[in-house]
Amino acid sequence: MRTEDLIGCLASDLRPVRRLPSPAAQTAIWLAGAVVAIGAIVLAEGLRPDLMQRLTLPQEGLQWLGAVATGATAALAAAMLARADRSARWALLPLPFALAWLATLGLGCLADMARMGEDALAPRLSGGCIQFIIFLGVPLGAGLLLLLRHAGPVRPGPVLALAGLASAALCSAGLSLFHHLDASLEVLLSHGLAIGAVALLGRVFGRGLLLRTPVAP
Amino acid sequence: MAGTEGEWEAWMAAAQGGDARAYDRLLRACLPFLRAVVRRRIRDTAEAEDAVQDALLTIHQLRASYEPPRPIRPWMAAIADRRAIDRLRRHGRRQGRETPIDEFGETLAAPAANVAEERLDQARLRAAVAELPQAQRTALALAKLEDLSLAEASARSGMSVGALKVATHRAVKALRRRLGGAGE
Repeated sequence: MRTEDLIGCLASDLRPVRRLPSPAAQTAIWLAGAVVAIGAIVLAEGLRPDLMQRLTLPQEGLQWLGAVATGATAALAAAMLARADRSARWALLPLPFALAWLATLGLGCLADMARMGEDALAPRLSGGCIQFIIFLGVPLGAGLLLLLRHAGPVRPGPVLALAGLASAALCSAGLSLFHHLDASLEVLLSHGLAIGAVALLGRVFGRGLLLRTPVAP
Repeated sequence: MAGTEGEWEAWMAAAQGGDARAYDRLLRACLPFLRAVVRRRIRDTAEAEDAVQDALLTIHQLRASYEPPRPIRPWMAAIADRRAIDRLRRHGRRQGRETPIDEFGETLAAPAANVAEERLDQARLRAAVAELPQAQRTALALAKLEDLSLAEASARSGMSVGALKVATHRAVKALRRRLGGAGE
């Protein structure tokens, strides 16, 4: 088909479309949904009795804020990258928050060592934490991908990975509100493994949720 | 057609609302721009035009994601560039899987692949020889296939040397004609 004829076909088939919300608005919509879903589970499980006391500790407070900020900025970065004309550098936005989060967990490991001795470094995994983050993170990530399905023909790879990171990081923050692990290393390993699993699942299976790239006949 | 400042953006905003004329005008106006973007990556004219068509289809598919009044050229350029990269990747994968046979003439890269063709040629040759008159067939068999001298062939067949020469010549000519070679 000649290109001029293709243009004629596209113009004659034109239907009005509803303009998508801005990336910031899309992020806000998804964050609101995620907060409601995670909040409902947190309330059903009941807040940790020592929550306020723990969150006022600088290391634990920063750790929680780091997880929330990583999730929120990863969602914003995914929404930005889903638009063709936005810079690829948006992918770096969650990096400082993720590093800060990791740093607070690393500091927590050191504090645990001072408190508990070598026992703090025994590698342990919490099956409950991993299950929670995966089972809630996957549907939340799928929701974000459906909201950003226009990323398919533009930048599918980074958007898939960032959507997984966003949902898993928020689930991790939500989990910390009702479930306490004694050792930071256990948090690091369990949450890290679960977040990696959600990001990987998004990367492998999320492509089908995005729009397919059209190819000229 | 370069379009005045903001004209393309206004046309796309109108197209999002369903204005087909504005959309047609926009796509025709942006065509040279899309071609220029794609040509930066793809030199082959036909392949580049396919990438331009992919870009037009993507622009159509994603028109709801354009946010007026943001400049539309970077949006279109990024889409066209992506489609050009996709075409190059597909082309690269295709080249990795295929061996261009033009460069090898009648011979395929894998020796085993020639066996079938050789068998086919042999079968055609046998069929063509079988259709020759008896005298020509005998002359051809002795003089050309068994490589006997004319005297030996004459002694074996009982044909005169002159008759053998004529029969062999006619047989070769008939085979050339039948197998598609140029006649003498």
